[in-house]
Amino acid sequence: MKRAVTIAAALSVAASVAMAGNVVTAVKVGSLKGLKCGAKVIRKYAKFTPIAVYPQSTLHLNDKKANELNKDAKAKIVQVAALTDGKRVAIIMRWPDKSKDVFKGYKSDIYPDGFAVQFAANADKPEKLPYIGMGSDGRPVEIFLRKAYGQPVYEPNGNGDVAHQVNPHNAPYFGKDLKKFEKAVAKKGSKEYARAFVSEGFRSMSQIKDGSVKWRSDMHYVGKKGMWGGMIVKNIKDAYSKPSKNELAVAVAVWDGKELQRDGLKRLSSWIAVKLPHAKNKALEAVVNEQVKGDVANGKKQFEANCASCHNDRNFHNAPVYMAPDLSNIGGQATAAYLRESILDPNAVVVPGYNRNQHPNFAWYNVDKNGKRTSIMPPFNFLDKKTVDDIVAYLQTQKAEVAK
Amino acid sequence: MSKRQLAMVMDLNKCIGCQTCTVACKTQWTNRNGREYMYWNNVETYPGDGYPKKWMELGGGFDAAGDLQPGIIPNIEADYGVPWDYNYDSLAEQNLLSDSPEPGFRPDQSPTWGPNWDEDEGAGEFPRDNYFFYLPRICNHCSNPGCLSACPRDAIFKREEDGVVLVDLDRCQGYRYCIAGCPYKKIYFNPKISKSEKCILCFPRIEQGLPPACAQSCVGRIRFVGFLDDEESQVYKLVHKYKVALPLRPDYGTQPNVYYVPPVDAPPKFDENGKIIEGSDRIPIEELEKLFGKEVHNAIKTIKAEREKRKKTGKSELMDILIAYQHKDMFRLDHNYYVEVAKKKGMKPLPLVDERYVAGKYTKPSSISHFKVHA
Repeated sequence: MKRAVTIAAALSVAASVAMAGNVVTAVKVGSLKGLKCGAKVIRKYAKFTPIAVYPQSTLHLNDKKANELNKDAKAKIVQVAALTDGKRVAIIMRWPDKSKDVFKGYKSDIYPDGFAVQFAANADKPEKLPYIGMGSDGRPVEIFLRKAYGQPVYEPNGNGDVAHQVNPHNAPYFGKDLKKFEKAVAKKGSKEYARAFVSEGFRSMSQIKDGSVKWRSDMHYVGKKGMWGGMIVKNIKDAYSKPSKNELAVAVAVWDGKELQRDGLKRLSSWIAVKLPHAKNKALEAVVNEQVKGDVANGKKQFEANCASCHNDRNFHNAPVYMAPDLSNIGGQATAAYLRESILDPNAVVVPGYNRNQHPNFAWYNVDKNGKRTSIMPPFNFLDKKTVDDIVAYLQTQKAEVAK
Repeated sequence: MSKRQLAMVMDLNKCIGCQTCTVACKTQWTNRNGREYMYWNNVETYPGDGYPKKWMELGGGFDAAGDLQPGIIPNIEADYGVPWDYNYDSLAEQNLLSDSPEPGFRPDQSPTWGPNWDEDEGAGEFPRDNYFFYLPRICNHCSNPGCLSACPRDAIFKREEDGVVLVDLDRCQGYRYCIAGCPYKKIYFNPKISKSEKCILCFPRIEQGLPPACAQSCVGRIRFVGFLDDEESQVYKLVHKYKVALPLRPDYGTQPNVYYVPPVDAPPKFDENGKIIEGSDRIPIEELEKLFGKEVHNAIKTIKAEREKRKKTGKSELMDILIAYQHKDMFRLDHNYYVEVAKKKGMKPLPLVDERYVAGKYTKPSSISHFKVHA
């Protein structure tokens, strides 16, 4: 079966290699040292590719206000570029956002703008890339997150420093001594909200705190243009990502604080092929750009017959909301290879879904003794190739329109 | 579900709203480090908007089918109340004659809401049928926690050994879906560390033989602490044997493990001429039903019957328990059990700091070498 999938993928890939949308060419520059948003080297050399990012709608989160604000969320265009000095790579992003939302002050219900860049641990088998929603079992991803914070963020227990957790008015200081104390406290916080994660499925996401990954980030708002700029620099090879060819599978996400976005409430791209200098392989860019030429009308019919009893999308809302992944934006985020794989072999990637307690009547998977997940979706490998292609072609139309 | 469940019972008939529990909790846990606005323990006046404001209307919890319901995340200024301070420093320097802005002793915030903003207001018309009672609240350490279910990062867990619900601050990313998911709004966002925090049932105290700070400091002795599977514990007796302690808002479907003995026998109402209406009760039974479910009728009946029995025969185990003679009987923290758990985990058990409350299902008084039974 697997063989058949690969061959089918390879065949349809050949037809669509020509159009190269989700491809970013990393430009070789002398040095990435001290790179910041708006740096000369970016303005001079970076080649930006427009990449559409689509609202995450696979899961429905439980924040009432945020859900209302994001009900009809549209897609955005993020300009993505890459630079490399041979050892490191910089991913640079620019995206429109009418309001600059920064987390500042003693607040409980505001959220900052932010962005993240996700790297597949490797892209050797492009038709088996990690699940776009933060990886999947056996297909890890490395994620770099930066959020707009206007104040330092502190460690939970002050890293064991009890004396500096005391509130200023409980501290035994006055006047100048108090100012000194407040300064010492401020030093304990980290100025940037920048975090690296490794993840095999979104619920497994864990922060890399041991310093094993060296990276930097920056973000900057240009008020006149209503645009955010963001960038991260990391080593091409590190503890968690080991690309063996001169190309990287990268995905980007942006959060809009005004829409109360955080976590799953975000806009996420599909996989992007970042070509490093001397990249010869065409397989990755073929996979990320594959547009299946199928009969969309028949695909819709087949979707209704085979899928719509569990999956909702833009046209069908028959299934209970929490029954299965909502496919309303699947066309904007998943590759055709992933869709095909998921139809024929749902166990290849089992989406972690909701906490098992959240909607106990709708388990998306069973778990065996060893913690291995088996999807409750049966394999649809009895469908013939044309039907699968038609369904995939239909699913690729399932995405929000791009905001103007 | 955890293996065992530590639970608390609060007797609302005896709560005087003195806030000693609130202060004990605050000074122990929440007077610093981004937690200033949080009250892991608060005592609110019922009926009233409570803390955070109108928490019962903010969603969360589960519907009858077991689906987590969406909720609203409260605002610090409008719903919790910003902790304020006064301008002590500038007082010394103010020139009372000429200074501008105007001199004086002022708070540094203009608060519009805070915990106990509507303290003792209650409902009804004075003096005919006004009423209120106090409702102390902590995290319910639910068996089916809304916060845990809502977390997209699996950062909240229920301790296997005693069912205490905790946030793993290494995993928490401050998304705050837990706050929306908790129908009691007893989990809070800490803006300084950008993560969620909540009542921990004083587990570091419990593991060393001390009851939670709120329970030990309670001057009305309204709080009982023990394991629900320990048939000797007063918690077990109140919840399971006599069924007079009931969970708050069981309709939220989270299966809370803090139980309340409902207020029984409020004073009677007055008629238009100021005469007592015989047999009337100021607290509407519908309100109690809303808070504690239909079981409240039986609970009230049992308490009244036991009271009569006590009057007639001089004996009633239930009345003895509710009188709360001895802290050592009210708190059964099963110290040996925690020692065994620590050993199994390969950890060093914490030293005991108080030997009075160590008894429990797996801890016979004689098993603590220097345990003394106080007469």
